[in-house]
Amino acid sequence: MEQEPRIGVYVCHCGVNIAAAVDVEHVARAAAELPGVVVARDNTYMCSDPGQALIKQDIREHGLNRVVVASCSPRMHERTFRAAAQQEGVNPYQVEMANIREQCSWVHRDKSRATEKAGLLIASAVAKAARLEPLEQREVDVTPGVVIIGGGIAGMTVALDVADTGLPAYLVEREESLGGRVAELNRTFPSLQPVSDLLQPLIARVQDHPNVTVFLTSCVSQVDGYIGNFEVEISGYGETGTPAGGDPASKSGTPRAGLSVGSIIVATGYDVFDPQRTPELGYRDYPNVITSLEMEERLIQGDLTVDGRRPERVAFVKCVGSRDARLGNPHCSRVCCMYTAKQARLVREMLPEAEVTVFYIDVRAFSKGGEEFYDETRSQGVRYRRANVSEIYRKRSAPGVDAGLAPRAGAAPVLLVAEDTLLGQPIEFEADLVVLAVGMEPRKNAGVIQKLLKLPRSADGFFLEAHPKLRPVDTAMDGIFLAGCCQGPKDIPDTVAQAKAAASSALIPLIRGSVPVESASAVVNGELCAGCAMCADVCPYDAAALDDLWGTSRINPVLCKGCGACAVTCPSSAIHLQHFTAEQVLAQVDALVE
Amino acid sequence: MKTQKLTEQLELFGCIQCGKCTGGCPVARKTTLNIRTLIYHMLVDPSMDVDAHQELWDCTACFTCVERCPKDVEPAELIISLRGELVEGGRVPETLGTALMGIFRQGNPSGMARQDRELWAAGMEESLERAKGLATRARDASSAQEECELLYFVGCIPSYDPRIQPVARALLRTFEGAGLHPGTLGTRESCCGSEVRRMGEAGLFGMLVEENGELLRSVGARQLVTTSPHCFNTFRKEYGLDGMEVLHYTQLVARLIDEGKLTFPEPSEARQEEHRTVTYHDPCFLGKQNQIYDEPRAILEAIPGLKLVEMDRRRERSLCCEGGGGRMWVEGTNLQERLAFQRVQEAAETGADTLAVACPFCLLTLEDAVKVQGLDEQLRVMDIMELVDACGAMPHVER
Amino acid sequence: MSDPACEAKPACEAKPACEAKPAYEAKPASPEPRFEPKIVAFLCNWCTYTGADLAGTSRIQYPPNVRIIRLMCSGSVDPTYVLKPLLDGADGVLIGGCHPGDCHYQSGNYKARRRTIALKEILRGAGIDETRVWLRWISASEGQRFADTVTEMTEFLREKGPNPMRTEWAV
Ligand SMILES: Cc1cc2nc3c(=O)[nH]c(=O)nc-3n(C[C@H](O)[C@H](O)[C@H](O)COP(=O)(O)OP(=O)(O)OC[C@H]3O[C@@H](n4cnc5c(N)ncnc54)[C@H](O)[C@@H]3O)c2cc1C
Ligand code: SF4
Ligand code: SF4
Ligand code: FES
Repeated sequence: MEQEPRIGVYVCHCGVNIAAAVDVEHVARAAAELPGVVVARDNTYMCSDPGQALIKQDIREHGLNRVVVASCSPRMHERTFRAAAQQEGVNPYQVEMANIREQCSWVHRDKSRATEKAGLLIASAVAKAARLEPLEQREVDVTPGVVIIGGGIAGMTVALDVADTGLPAYLVEREESLGGRVAELNRTFPSLQPVSDLLQPLIARVQDHPNVTVFLTSCVSQVDGYIGNFEVEISGYGETGTPAGGDPASKSGTPRAGLSVGSIIVATGYDVFDPQRTPELGYRDYPNVITSLEMEERLIQGDLTVDGRRPERVAFVKCVGSRDARLGNPHCSRVCCMYTAKQARLVREMLPEAEVTVFYIDVRAFSKGGEEFYDETRSQGVRYRRANVSEIYRKRSAPGVDAGLAPRAGAAPVLLVAEDTLLGQPIEFEADLVVLAVGMEPRKNAGVIQKLLKLPRSADGFFLEAHPKLRPVDTAMDGIFLAGCCQGPKDIPDTVAQAKAAASSALIPLIRGSVPVESASAVVNGELCAGCAMCADVCPYDAAALDDLWGTSRINPVLCKGCGACAVTCPSSAIHLQHFTAEQVLAQVDALVE
Repeated sequence: MKTQKLTEQLELFGCIQCGKCTGGCPVARKTTLNIRTLIYHMLVDPSMDVDAHQELWDCTACFTCVERCPKDVEPAELIISLRGELVEGGRVPETLGTALMGIFRQGNPSGMARQDRELWAAGMEESLERAKGLATRARDASSAQEECELLYFVGCIPSYDPRIQPVARALLRTFEGAGLHPGTLGTRESCCGSEVRRMGEAGLFGMLVEENGELLRSVGARQLVTTSPHCFNTFRKEYGLDGMEVLHYTQLVARLIDEGKLTFPEPSEARQEEHRTVTYHDPCFLGKQNQIYDEPRAILEAIPGLKLVEMDRRRERSLCCEGGGGRMWVEGTNLQERLAFQRVQEAAETGADTLAVACPFCLLTLEDAVKVQGLDEQLRVMDIMELVDACGAMPHVER
Repeated sequence: MSDPACEAKPACEAKPACEAKPAYEAKPASPEPRFEPKIVAFLCNWCTYTGADLAGTSRIQYPPNVRIIRLMCSGSVDPTYVLKPLLDGADGVLIGGCHPGDCHYQSGNYKARRRTIALKEILRGAGIDETRVWLRWISASEGQRFADTVTEMTEFLREKGPNPMRTEWAV
């Protein structure tokens, strides 16, 4: 049974991701000298098809029975390499990874020290690999059903896609109605389609769908379990303890339902930037300085008057609260350029005699039909001036300003102070109505969801996808996916596209019916067991129990989840945790400490 | 060429040429100074002929550009560095050269004699001696009976300028009265160098930081309080005075009022009649640069019979008085329009009879503007401490 | 006594000019290399290991002194895992687990806490400096905290100097 270890070591450059900080050729050469290593190589991309082919070929040619890949985190590609090895008859549990990207090249700049560390991590992985035992892959059944947090356009899209497959979708929305931010809008770019045309049928379908259960004024209060089998508790929503909606039972967030599902989707959307944080722009000082979201409201009302008068000069200020490091929002909000063009056009339509000017830093009209829409907007007479408005104030001597002391007179025009950077000249621009194109920010309550689901967030505060290119809707937590603006700013088409991607990713385990689980469980050596039953005491899953006949412990591998608590507790050292045995770990220590 | 290195040193590559800096710059609207274009030059062709840019001397170091830049570029630092080039080559406007020489020789920009630095305390000799004693004695801890917990840094203008001296006296009186044991350095005090740095004289500034820093630390005070927001700003951000709380007087006085250590008498019948309407001008170095907006207003609002009205451009949008960055000693390229003129007009339009300030430079520039604009019948410019003093504030301690 | 590195320090304390520029952190002038402690870290798969990955994806830099061993849960850290590296000459051992209440296996981290307290008692008894063993709760979303912990621990151990076991056992 004992095989002489024949190990292949593969060091990945990951393009320059690893190679820039680690001398990969050097560590590969060093790895070749380690005990048990038959072949050691470096390669530009180990996860690519040629990279995997290399492993397979070596297994065939050199009779390898262990594989060590030094590359990214096992969370990224352990599955890939296990599968590759398995195809050539190597047990997937005899593949070990050395994490030299996330835990080495990306966090250390000093090349010689990073190289030294990478060498040690590889030696440690080789030491473990030499002692790895073959294991059988285990699977558990999944509970069908998806919980979707957030009933905006993203959440509703996911719910319908899930429900249409015949599986139950549970849509949890904290407000009294569905629709999210889109429900606050008037018309949408680039088609200028009224939002109601878009949203009402969607909401109706969600509400009428037999497979969708909608929880309004509700939130998720507790989540247990993991991919395939989550236990989710839904409670009444009311952050401040006051009831957020009709149901009196919702007062202090009383539990409403306990759901068992296989996947969870986060679709909690975004908040808009509060321009009180840019005091130089005078928002709240002047009633005729409003946000773009307030403008949508006015467009819905069809009322653009300021104190009963039709504005003659309307100005839009872009990038308010976006692309701004000092406000902690270095990101571009991606929609403001387009919705500003949209609003400017609607203003032109409603007030043909008014002069409409957009102050911009750059115009980013990248979406499909975006540049064309921007062209049309200009051709309809909207003026674009390249200036980042620095200050808004009002001259006391301006017409309409009260002679009294209160500076808050209603309709009086304000002055936009800026530099027209194409003219290279400071300007003062008078306007009757100013619209601040506020950007998108993470939801203020994102921290609550972050804690509940243990989701990482990126530096901009939005939830972090597992991989920016290859896994854009997955998260670091298996079975939890992202849809819509909770992951970053998006327009409606992108939101819906991502929602559909999230739905199909979430459905994979549900349709498959089972998910692979860690196959490593704890095993008792009956000859050493003294029958003290301390393992049974400490096991959180009641997997360990004394055998009636022999009086020694037996661990039920189906119940055991492999936490290893019993192995540490056993006073007779009769238990070992597969795949993480003391022998393996101590061998790793040896390799690391030299 | 030296200017080439600046692009990297100052991380100008972060600039997206949005123009928010120039847009907010108070002097860009009256002179040819355009900080965004200067940055652009540095980015595309850094071999700049600095001599051709006399408008560099127009900058008031108000730092509006620094506060507003969305990319954390510090545009004004480029101006300071370019001025440094001019200073190194000795190409400095004459009046500025004189100010710098005065600081080098006598420790103050007016070049007044060092031994006259304590004349501000005329009539309060006893307090002055006590305060000086505290600041000296604490140096050798053994002989110190009273500890000097608070070091009062008077500053050059309050020390020598007869218009500002009363502000310094009012402060010393108030601190002593509130039982604070203030110490002061007397003739050992030298210019803080705030404007020296902003004029581009990095060498002299470094020297001042070294010498002053040693002296300030030697007193062992827990708190350092200044008359001027300019001294406050440099001590707070550019001296590395760890372990010493650096305060502007408005912070400390507001705190004393809040703690009940400073109270105001109920105004008599007669005085209630003549209540003042006051508007307050936020100094750039206190407001924009240090976000101290509320404390000065809290003091004013605590004064009985005083009504505070606001100008439209207040707090973050306050208009620079053009007194900073060395501009006290050089006119700049546009002599006609002064921002201070505009500012006092704005103050007068509020209907206030008094324009309150909390900075010696603002007091001088704005008062001058009131006179030139013929507003002196209508508007008085006063430091907040003068207003506090005038209403007979009573430190709440038993003597 | 004429070592320039020694003189530089007190001078710096007195001279404000030095303190004003903490950005230009003085590199040690002496040719002798800094002591680089070796830290062995046992991180639970679900929280701290993932947190360390997040530090990576966020490119947060920290000292390379830490060498990570992945375990499924902090509750599976056997006392020998801690003792062996210390006896072999590692300068510190870091155990990382999920925050209380968040353990993937319900209570492994509580077990780790209890065990670590007992272990430290034993270390003290055996004359091994127990402050070389750190137990920290770091979640999957706390990449910065992971980096900060490693930085702090490296500094702490650097201050402390090499593990005396290193030399004692070598002979
Ligand atoms: C002024 C403005 C104009 C715009 N105009 C256009 C346009 O013309 N065209 C276009 O394509 N895009 C436009 N957009 C962008 C558009 O709003 C977004 O793309 C869209 O709203 C994203 O949908 P979402 O479902 O991801 O998020 P949201 O719309 O924010 O929906 C999220 C939902 O989740 C709920 N929620 C949040 N937290 C919780 C929780 N903890 N528990 C339960 N529920 C929760 C919220 O109540 C909300 O209903 C505009 C944006 C703005 C600001
Ligand atoms: S505000 Fe900043 S980014 Fe914009 S032009 Fe000025 S320096 Fe450049
Ligand atoms: S510091 Fe003030 S005066 Fe100087 S460039 Fe900046 S905004 Fe203009
Ligand atoms: S799984 Fe992280 S401590 Fe148990």
